[in-house]
Amino acid sequence: MIQKKICMLGSFAVGKTSLVRRFVESIYSDTYLTTVGVKIDKKVVTVGVREVTLVLWDIYGEDDFQKIRWSYLRGASGYLLVADGTRRATIKKALELEQKTREEIGPIPFVFVVNKSDLVQEWELDPAMEAQIATMNWAILRSSAKTGEGVEEAFFRLTRKMLG
Amino acid sequence: MGSVPQRSQESLDTRSPMPDTPKSRTANESGNDASPDSPGSLEELRHLILAPEQEALQRLTNRIEKPESRTEDVSGVVAEAIQKRRELGGEDALCAALAPTIETALRDSVRRDPGTLADALFPVMGPAIRRSILETLRSFLDSFNQILDQSLSWRGLKWRVEAVRTGRSFTEVALLHSLVFRVEQVFLIHKKSGLPITHAVAPAVAMQDPSLVSGMLSAIQDFVHDSFHTERGQGVNRLNVGDLDVWVEDGPYAILAAVIRGVAPRALHERMTETLENIHAEYASSLERFDGDSAPFANINRELSRCLEAKFKEESPRGGYGYAWAAAAVLLALVGGWLGWRWWQYHRWSELVATLESQPGLIITSFGRVRGRLVVRGLRDPLSSDPQAFIKVAQLDPTQVEFHWSAYYALDDTLVQKRASMALMPPPGVSLSVKDGVLRVEGQPPAKWLDDLRSRGMFIPGIRALDLGRFTPEQIAFDEGKGRIESIVVKFPLASAALSSAERATLRNLLPQIRELLNSPVAVQGSITLEVVGHSDSTGADATNQNLSQRRADRVAWEFIQLGIPAAHLHARGVAAEAPVRPEDTEENRQYNRSATFRVVVASLPQP
Repeated sequence: MIQKKICMLGSFAVGKTSLVRRFVESIYSDTYLTTVGVKIDKKVVTVGVREVTLVLWDIYGEDDFQKIRWSYLRGASGYLLVADGTRRATIKKALELEQKTREEIGPIPFVFVVNKSDLVQEWELDPAMEAQIATMNWAILRSSAKTGEGVEEAFFRLTRKMLG
Repeated sequence: MGSVPQRSQESLDTRSPMPDTPKSRTANESGNDASPDSPGSLEELRHLILAPEQEALQRLTNRIEKPESRTEDVSGVVAEAIQKRRELGGEDALCAALAPTIETALRDSVRRDPGTLADALFPVMGPAIRRSILETLRSFLDSFNQILDQSLSWRGLKWRVEAVRTGRSFTEVALLHSLVFRVEQVFLIHKKSGLPITHAVAPAVAMQDPSLVSGMLSAIQDFVHDSFHTERGQGVNRLNVGDLDVWVEDGPYAILAAVIRGVAPRALHERMTETLENIHAEYASSLERFDGDSAPFANINRELSRCLEAKFKEESPRGGYGYAWAAAAVLLALVGGWLGWRWWQYHRWSELVATLESQPGLIITSFGRVRGRLVVRGLRDPLSSDPQAFIKVAQLDPTQVEFHWSAYYALDDTLVQKRASMALMPPPGVSLSVKDGVLRVEGQPPAKWLDDLRSRGMFIPGIRALDLGRFTPEQIAFDEGKGRIESIVVKFPLASAALSSAERATLRNLLPQIRELLNSPVAVQGSITLEVVGHSDSTGADATNQNLSQRRADRVAWEFIQLGIPAAHLHARGVAAEAPVRPEDTEENRQYNRSATFRVVVASLPQP
């Protein structure tokens, strides 16, 4: 059995928890997020003939009151970097988080997920930022926790990246 | 390969002994060859004669000598050969021959790529393991359930109520109550990623997903570590919630977490440390390189299972099953009592039936238990003893016994006698007896009654004959005559033996009767003597009285002789006042003692 620890990273209220809620097995309530700052869920992904168990650490989004506990990222094989397409600040934060992660635990695979694709007309992505992201050669996905769009794909792509 | 042509040549030589030397060739071919001098022609001749065989031989040789063709040959029959061998019963030898090779092959295969075999076995192993676990679990639970089910203890009942109340299984409740401690789950968790490397769980324990629990455990470790800025390696090593304890042992690459219910001893801590150390020693490099693949740790589980200790409260089975024993004893006593009572009742019934059966005039045709009552059916003579009376004697409740009698005439002698007495009403002094249906009469029955008996006696059920014995008309007449004569008192004057004329007339009047007696057929049975007894009153001297009484008797006898009664039939004797006719309380009665009376004596003939 192959297991991988992955983290959900992103600003507060970008929809990380919503993103995974419909697609994972969970025994813990969301209150853990606010108390311990992390909630563990599980997702089984099949890549080719291999079944990979993803142990998801849904880490409390950073906001003005609470910092991300970087120790939660230790041992992670990859992460989903989540931003809210309708809030520019969260995308900016995602870029910061990516950099910080690289500093804290080194370069590990990640997939950048821009959430709330169902509200694409309200997105605040400006061309300059898009250009900046484009230069970084990131794996970017649009997702919607509401419609389920891109969610499976996000886990799948991240898994493939982790397995190399 | 080099040897092939050479061997082929040899074989050719042996099979066709054509000599190569000119000498032998000459000797051999001189008789039939036209051109013996040409070796070429000889060769040609040989070729001509033996070509087809040579070619066939060559082909055969090639097939035998060339490994490729041999392989081909064998491959064509190998399956059939094995099949044949098995049919012939050589399977054991076949297995023994193949086993080492197969074992080596399997080992090699696993060494090269465990996945291949694992994949091949996966569909088989999953169900097999599941079944094995299920069986173990079931037998464990069954035996546990059985023991507790059997115990009728109050405690067992309480646990049942608790199980119903809390919605848990009875086994679980019982287990928790009788548990000192039990290590329910052990997690070996990769320290860095929080991923479970492996996980062991005790039987019948509800378990959560090891990945999630491991993750959360290490998250908490991290959380505490970050929050309180402890040194690395100084995380939480004990969590306590209710009666659940989580002990955490910290190692360089992995942590060992045990979920314990109850109060575990210190020794468990040492066991965990030791286990974690062993794992680190054996799998150090694998642990260091762990990237989520738990395959290299497949054998660790046995190590972990050693930590799944459990200790139950020691209870003496006597105490534990005291109630059960008591209940069993009470039950046994009840059953025993009931059986005993039934036996006693049956015994009483049997006794009653036996008593009834022994009674004349009662015949039991059937008896048995009907709705707890004894029902007896039979025949009863109305004159027989009352059966109800025997119920009391048998110490039985009369309401528990039911009689159904049909009336009949019993032929038992006692009942026939009763019946005869009721029908004939014998006068006082007369008794009836029945023996084997023959009615016998005793006493002094009046002739009239005897006539009645004679006419009706045979109609009484059970009487088949009358035995009237001496009560023949002759005897009766004799007895009556005898009675009359014996009632006569011949009176004499005071101190005199002289007969008055009146008395003499009385004596004369007796004559026909005396004659009748003496001539009676009864006399055939013995000699009849008319005894004349002389009496005197009690006054006067004894000697005088004796003399007087003798004379009085003699006087009467003499009178009879005079009247013609043979003297041989007469016997006179005086008894003085020794046998008074009447007590001398009055003068009149005293007069009766100055008298003579008679006794008719029938002397039996001496027996031959």
